[in-house]
Amino acid sequence: MVSRNLSIPWTEKYRPRRVSEVIGNEEAKKQFEAWIRGWERGSPEAKAALLAGPPGTGKTSLVLAYASEHGYEVVELNASDERSSERLKTIVGESARQSTLSGTRKRIIMLDEVDGIAGREAVGGVATISSIIKSTKTPIVMIANDPWDPRLAPLRENALMIKFNKLKQREILAHLKKIIASEGVSVDEKLLAEIVRRAEGDMRSAINDVQILCSTAGVDLLGSLELRDRKKTAFEVLSEIFGATSAVAGRNAVQGADMEVGDIMIWVGDNILNQIHSPQAIADAFKLLADADLHYSRVRRLQRWELLRYVSPLLGAGPGVMKQVYGEKGERFEFPSTFRFFQQTRHQRTLVQSVLERVASRCKMSRVKVANEMLPFLAEMFRRGERGLASYFGLTDEEVRAVIELAGAQPSAAAPQAQAPAHKRRTTPSRQTRGVRRPPSP
Amino acid sequence: MALQETIPWIEKYRPRSLSQIINQEAIVNSLKTILSTHSVPHMLFTGPPGVGKTATAHAFANDLYGVRYIEDGHFLEINASDERGIDVIREKVKGFARTIPIGGLGFKILLLDEADQLTSDAQHAFRRVMEQFSATCRFILAANYANRIIEPIQSRCAVFRFKPIELEQMKLAIERIARQEGLEVDEKAMEALYEVTEGDLRRCINLLQTASTYGKKIDADRVYQVAGLAWGGEVRRLLELAVAGKLENVRKQLRTILYVNGASERDLVSQMYRDLLYLSIPEKKKLELVSLLGEVDFRISQGANPELQIMMFLTNLYSASQVGK
Repeated sequence: MVSRNLSIPWTEKYRPRRVSEVIGNEEAKKQFEAWIRGWERGSPEAKAALLAGPPGTGKTSLVLAYASEHGYEVVELNASDERSSERLKTIVGESARQSTLSGTRKRIIMLDEVDGIAGREAVGGVATISSIIKSTKTPIVMIANDPWDPRLAPLRENALMIKFNKLKQREILAHLKKIIASEGVSVDEKLLAEIVRRAEGDMRSAINDVQILCSTAGVDLLGSLELRDRKKTAFEVLSEIFGATSAVAGRNAVQGADMEVGDIMIWVGDNILNQIHSPQAIADAFKLLADADLHYSRVRRLQRWELLRYVSPLLGAGPGVMKQVYGEKGERFEFPSTFRFFQQTRHQRTLVQSVLERVASRCKMSRVKVANEMLPFLAEMFRRGERGLASYFGLTDEEVRAVIELAGAQPSAAAPQAQAPAHKRRTTPSRQTRGVRRPPSP
Repeated sequence: MALQETIPWIEKYRPRSLSQIINQEAIVNSLKTILSTHSVPHMLFTGPPGVGKTATAHAFANDLYGVRYIEDGHFLEINASDERGIDVIREKVKGFARTIPIGGLGFKILLLDEADQLTSDAQHAFRRVMEQFSATCRFILAANYANRIIEPIQSRCAVFRFKPIELEQMKLAIERIARQEGLEVDEKAMEALYEVTEGDLRRCINLLQTASTYGKKIDADRVYQVAGLAWGGEVRRLLELAVAGKLENVRKQLRTILYVNGASERDLVSQMYRDLLYLSIPEKKKLELVSLLGEVDFRISQGANPELQIMMFLTNLYSASQVGK
């Protein structure tokens, strides 16, 4: 199995090397350049700059691009790391001893995630950093998402605030197209537009999404583009698999595919329902696919690579043979709904995760336990307007809405099992019931 | 202006000290003896969910070190199911147990909650960690089942088995909260609470607080209604969608439960099992599905893909429910 090289994230590979290559936020770029030139002249407007804006808008990229273009060394420190303030002192101290900035090693200190330190009171906190800023002889760039966090006030006073805005859709689209072109792949226009829309102005996430899309053999989704050294597209692999009527043909289809087995499973699993329609055939096809997954899980868990041979015929021939046996006619193959699901729910998942973490730490429970036991009740209480709990856990309105939305997927509270009929006593007590009212036994 | 905060009742009514722990007299007495001697062994707390294992560990530390037992660094809680493997846990223990706090007793206490979530390999590794740091640290492990904890750990611990909460004890707890919160919870409602939570006090208190958002009067119907809102309702809907053959919706609902809710697949499967028994499909088919679900459960525990395995089960449920139609 050859797998596409995923080792270099495209967000790194295509990071701008020059300021002119940084996308969007022209005003911010000008302000930043003016500020650092001030340093070069020896009279900076402020000792530090605070680059503030949503994720993926080019804050870090701008600093790195300027540095690489003008020969600076960037010392990156993560402000939420406790050891940073010590290192910061050392570096600032070193630079102070070098008499000028024109020495051989020009430096910029970049403090990432300064909003992360706001909570901590002790050394390394806001106070320490602002006192270091006052004495620094090296430009300090701080990066934050939320510049208006009240706890960052002391930093704002001593720094020049440079604001970054979300990128425009067309800016992201144009950049993605450039990347796609230099990778020599093609991505469906609609899909690309969807990625751009979902990114909500975040270039990093858009690039990541496109990379994932392409690495899952979603190359050339229209099957129309001719590439040198052309590999089989995922759609071609699919049509071989669903067309296979023998174990040998199925095995060959899987082994000849330039895709990871796990990815083939996703593509196949997500297409069974548009290829096969009778209940029994669907059930049988999923059974074979689940068996393939079983053997594959043994390969991975026990590192028993020789067991991989049992995966290929099950995965490759199972769906096709079922299709033939039950005389099924397939519809068009589709791009796996899995990928779309993850894209569409990314924001909600992040919000729910952050709720789980907050509640878990305050209630001394694991996140999983919170998800299973607390979240349904929280959702219901939020829906009933109990916002005091949200403020206890420090949840934002957005997070509260995400939790309520989860509950929205259930049957509504307005249609409860209102009456308590005679059979309410359970006939078979089981230890861990979560208290669901059971339908009457037939 | 900041919004008025509402404290979750499970926090508000969390026992602070051993004397506030209900239903576990024998254990509380033993722990009080241990307190008086200051000779603390490693301990293993076992018992069903919501009977007070974690609360007792905290209360014990509180009584031993005083109210600042956490802030002053005497006590650390690690939740096994939240950590990414034994190495992370080992590092945390190391960082915690390396130093002895001034003004302490010469040892700290580390609570490893949900210890039975560790694989047996991880437990063996943890046992070595226990030995390495036993000079400066006592370990309390909490788990639902003692038999999921490896023998060598059990033999190094004093084992405390927590009893399921009794009906009368739960009633007392409910009455106390009701008094404080000005609720009227009638007898039938209390029995209903006990029935639907099966003696899980945490769940009971959560349910009570949710029910209270509907009004001060809580009767059995209200209890059943609120109980039906928990994820269980979502899982039952998943099965109903499968029986109805709405397989695309099934898939979406399944993914939402697995990936958005953050619920554990094992809990999902066990809830599916409970609901499966009551579905109206031919009993012969039902029994075959019970066996199939057992297989799915086992496969997932062995590292198979939960979404795919559960989807396989649900499509088979659909197919089985079509028989005779």
